[in-house]
Amino acid sequence: MTRRAPIAAAVAVVAAIGAAGWNAAAQQATDVESLTFLGKTVTAAQLVLGQEDYAANCASCHGANLEGQPDWRRRNENGRMPAPPHDANGHTWHHADRQLFTITKLGVSAIVPGYESDMPAFEGILSDDEIVAVLAFIKSTWPERERGFQAEVTANDEGGS
Amino acid sequence: MMNEHSRTGSPLGRRQALAMLGGVVLSGLSPARWAHAGGAVASALAFDGGALVVAGAQVWRHDLSGGASATFPTPRAHIRALACHPARTGRLFAALEGGGLDRSDDGGRTWHPASGGLPMPQVTAVATAAGAPDTVYAAVAGDGLWRSEDAGENWSFVMDRPWIADAEREVLTIASVNLASGMGGIWIYAGTERGLTRVPDCFCRWQDVVAGNAMDALVAGTPPAPETPLPEGEPVLALTSAMAAPERLAAALPSGLWASSDSGVNWAHRSGHVAPALAAHPTEPSRIAAITADEVILSHDSGASWAALPTT
Ligand code: HEC
Repeated sequence: MTRRAPIAAAVAVVAAIGAAGWNAAAQQATDVESLTFLGKTVTAAQLVLGQEDYAANCASCHGANLEGQPDWRRRNENGRMPAPPHDANGHTWHHADRQLFTITKLGVSAIVPGYESDMPAFEGILSDDEIVAVLAFIKSTWPERERGFQAEVTANDEGGS
Repeated sequence: MMNEHSRTGSPLGRRQALAMLGGVVLSGLSPARWAHAGGAVASALAFDGGALVVAGAQVWRHDLSGGASATFPTPRAHIRALACHPARTGRLFAALEGGGLDRSDDGGRTWHPASGGLPMPQVTAVATAAGAPDTVYAAVAGDGLWRSEDAGENWSFVMDRPWIADAEREVLTIASVNLASGMGGIWIYAGTERGLTRVPDCFCRWQDVVAGNAMDALVAGTPPAPETPLPEGEPVLALTSAMAAPERLAAALPSGLWASSDSGVNWAHRSGHVAPALAAHPTEPSRIAAITADEVILSHDSGASWAALPTT
């Protein structure tokens, strides 16, 4: 969707001509520089990898444009919840990096014991680095407000652990 | 099912209609007699700025510092649930029998609709957000949770009903509980026709009430089962958390009134009263009010002992 397009474009530019020629995307460059995951600065190369891994592993459920499944706030017949959006309309941006990483690697039941979910655990499918890259890519698509909120939640979570 | 809850909130009967006609005339009666006079008409309760507001077919405001009590003009419809926030004295939200939600800005004297975008079915529960006085949550029968972030002007659907024992369950009561969810916000607790559950206020997912928060679960693995949970499967008719001590909760079940001091993990049976409505005082957490079939009762010791509201 349009919200994601600028950064996707920035990623494409970086991939094509390298970080040195990235003046055309100055705005996105600042955004990328300020982006961290689990305390580490995210690189443009990570975002390229993350976008690819997202398309290959997550888009089938969470949507090519991070829009989630239709009517995602209403549970399926079997009682399980559909895949939520990863854009500003969803709740992903409410959660700290550590929680997003844990859910992606180990599944939702890692943080809610006994919880039944259609979200697969990606341990053994994606490496930790790939999971970080995918989640960094997701974060890079968020508008400033959501990114700021999530940065604060992440800071509190790290401070409290 | 919802029978226990709806018993006191049934559509207007003859006695209730008579009580409504009574209007201001009843204002001189004692609270106990007031409750009797209307039959089982009172079904909602809230502490609002030094007063206890009791509502049903009528709205009655009792000054807790010993001042005057007042019965206000009859609301549009029988009030089934009330909510308010200590940072907005005088502002009340009322779930109406038959559907819809009204708001008062003068302590319950006058009301106007506050349900823009809310669907028509019965609102079974209403609560304000502990940390955001203009945010209101409403549970809609057969539907789910709705949220307004502008004090009832606009509503949007935020969460399906909880899934407990292989089915979606009706939410009978909700409380915003000001404890970190571990998911970037605080909790919303819900009493359902099949026990207690909770959801982080980002509405990511309903989950059981267990010791600790989400990230504790990750570190500790499966949390130990609570030693004294609420009786399994029993409906939770009313639920309240004291804003000044959010880990202290009170719940009304068909088996009586229960209290928890550890965020709803373990519970103690406090009395045999069956109460369709409960409210905890926002700044004095030991003070709890409840409505029974024929009385308004008050406790000053977290539900250990109760007395009918003294007459003024
Ligand atoms: C088979 C479908 C499916 C695939 C593929 C999938 N997910 Fe999910 N995901 C879900 C569902 C369904 C949920 C909601 C789980 C619930 O709450 O019951 C979810 C939830 C999540 C959440 C939790 C969001 C929140 O705010 O609580 C995260 C994070 C997540 N997915 C990340 C990913 C990532 C990253 C990928 C790709 C690496 C991915 N998912 C691939 C189905 C999927």
